[in-house]
Amino acid sequence: MNAIRTLLSYKERNYRATPKRELSKAEKIKLFATVLSGKMIALAIMAFVIKLFTGFMEPAHAADTFTAHETTIMNSINTAWTLVAAFLVFGMQAGFVLLEAGFARQKETVNVLMECIFDTCLCGFLFWAIGYAFMFSHGNGFVGTHWFFLNGAPDTYEATGIPILAHWIFQFAFADTCSTVTSGAMIGRTGFRGDILYSIGVTGFIYPIIGHWAWGPDGFLATMGTDKNFLPTLGQGFRDFAGSTVVHTIGGAVSLAGSMVLGPRLGRIFARDDKARGGMPPPHNLTIAAVGGFILWFGWYGFNPGSSLSAMDMQGIGRISANTTLAACAGGMMAMIVAFLFGNTKGKFDLGFSVNGMLAGLVAITCPCYWVSPLGSILIGLVAGVLVYIGVNFLEWCRIDDPVGAVSVHGFCGIWGTWSLGLFATGQYGATGPTGPDNSASQLVKGLFYGGGMDVLKAQVIGNVIITVGTFVVAFVMMWVIRKLPHPYNLRVEEAGELGQGGLDVFEHGIEAYPPQTAY
Amino acid sequence: MYKIEAIIRPHRLEAVRESLKEHEIIGITVSECRGAGNQSAPTHTFRGSQYHSGLELRTRIEVYVTDAQLEEAISAIQAAATTGEVGDGKILVFKAEQAVRIRTNERGETAIS
Repeated sequence: MNAIRTLLSYKERNYRATPKRELSKAEKIKLFATVLSGKMIALAIMAFVIKLFTGFMEPAHAADTFTAHETTIMNSINTAWTLVAAFLVFGMQAGFVLLEAGFARQKETVNVLMECIFDTCLCGFLFWAIGYAFMFSHGNGFVGTHWFFLNGAPDTYEATGIPILAHWIFQFAFADTCSTVTSGAMIGRTGFRGDILYSIGVTGFIYPIIGHWAWGPDGFLATMGTDKNFLPTLGQGFRDFAGSTVVHTIGGAVSLAGSMVLGPRLGRIFARDDKARGGMPPPHNLTIAAVGGFILWFGWYGFNPGSSLSAMDMQGIGRISANTTLAACAGGMMAMIVAFLFGNTKGKFDLGFSVNGMLAGLVAITCPCYWVSPLGSILIGLVAGVLVYIGVNFLEWCRIDDPVGAVSVHGFCGIWGTWSLGLFATGQYGATGPTGPDNSASQLVKGLFYGGGMDVLKAQVIGNVIITVGTFVVAFVMMWVIRKLPHPYNLRVEEAGELGQGGLDVFEHGIEAYPPQTAY
Repeated sequence: MYKIEAIIRPHRLEAVRESLKEHEIIGITVSECRGAGNQSAPTHTFRGSQYHSGLELRTRIEVYVTDAQLEEAISAIQAAATTGEVGDGKILVFKAEQAVRIRTNERGETAIS
């Protein structure tokens, strides 16, 4: 008790150490005024800080008045984003070269490498001269009619704020992808002069003109469903975010036409003709094929997220990247499982199907990537994985020789991806834009499974079928004409080129992929 | 017992095997090889240079046959491997002294049939 008492008294003493002094009235007023003004200043600073930071945090579209300086900064960031994406998409060429060379037989390897390299060079030149003009300039619903050789093109493309040449290189990379897809289905029997001729047709005319329908500023599918345009009663335009239809279905349809007109490689036996020996000839290097598949996947991170052309749409590009990844995972997994359960690969974990399944998932998610949820992407990828298995076997049954599976991966899964938007669009997301997403009610896209009805699905199917059929017919006629030309301009190489010493490589390019080494 | 060694064009291999199978000759050893003969070897070109390796890609097959199978095996290979151009290859026949099946230690013609 004593101790406590001592403690208390000690505290009391200390507390009372400064003797309390009565304040005068004037002093009280002065003290109150000082404290109040201090509080006010602090409140003002806080309000200012909050104002400052919420300015950054709120979606940019909330305010429509940007200063010139702000606009410049946003456009610079968007341009840097678009260029990085363009370089990634261009990197897909390396993936295509590796994948196609790996799946080819050894004696046609140099040929497929050479075709990809030549197509890229040709595409740059043609896309500068006529391709970009046909595809992205104003004209009519079917073709653009300005900006040939980029003459008279404005500083920036439409309302994107992206410099026209940055937009050009991004779209060049896409066009190049489309033309390289085609070469994969025609490996091993296409004469190189024939390849030059059809490449001019695909990259210079078919891809840009048909692409204009869906992606051009006034393409008839892009403006579909609005007043005084194609099918005004539909109420929905055709949507293709990054090109399931424009790049992949066009590439796939041209591939199908090409491989049908060419016919199979000499000595190719189909599974239905001979159970024991029939089927795809063995690939010559699975290592580079698998590496090529992964490089393509990596490039797809430019293909899909970059198609927003806007880094201001942060939610959008993040969502697209995640969706792209999940669809690829689901596609590769599903193709492996289906191949494990059915057919000739039963009981085996097949690498060829898994690589193609991965790519099938990526092709399918390319169109709906902006508008679907992660779960939706997984479902889209799973279906694509099944489709690629069915597609490869269906083409084999039809006696169509497609060495890398380009028609199944890019054609069939491109069609599925485009249609899937009409099923899986969540209805939460609208359109992307240079200052942020536009999620106003008129822009929202809602698919069948989310209660949006059939409208979006109808628009997707109509647009996709028009483009697929249009491309196939035009490409078939073009390939057929080239097939009728005299050698060596014929689409198909002479028999000596396929069966002669060193195969197509030595016949067309003078060297084998792995030539005999000399003593020096 | 004979050993037949044939140098053929690579793309005729499938046809040769098919026609040997029709005569119930299943066992075969195949190797890729390069060689020179009467035909002119192709010139390889690369970055402005020409290479005359002088050696063409060929496939060498070795089959072992009984005395009774010899003639039909030769004619089967010959018929399947021919294209009529110079460079179709050769068929060589060697007398085999002895044959042993390693697994069972069988000797003679039963070891190769």
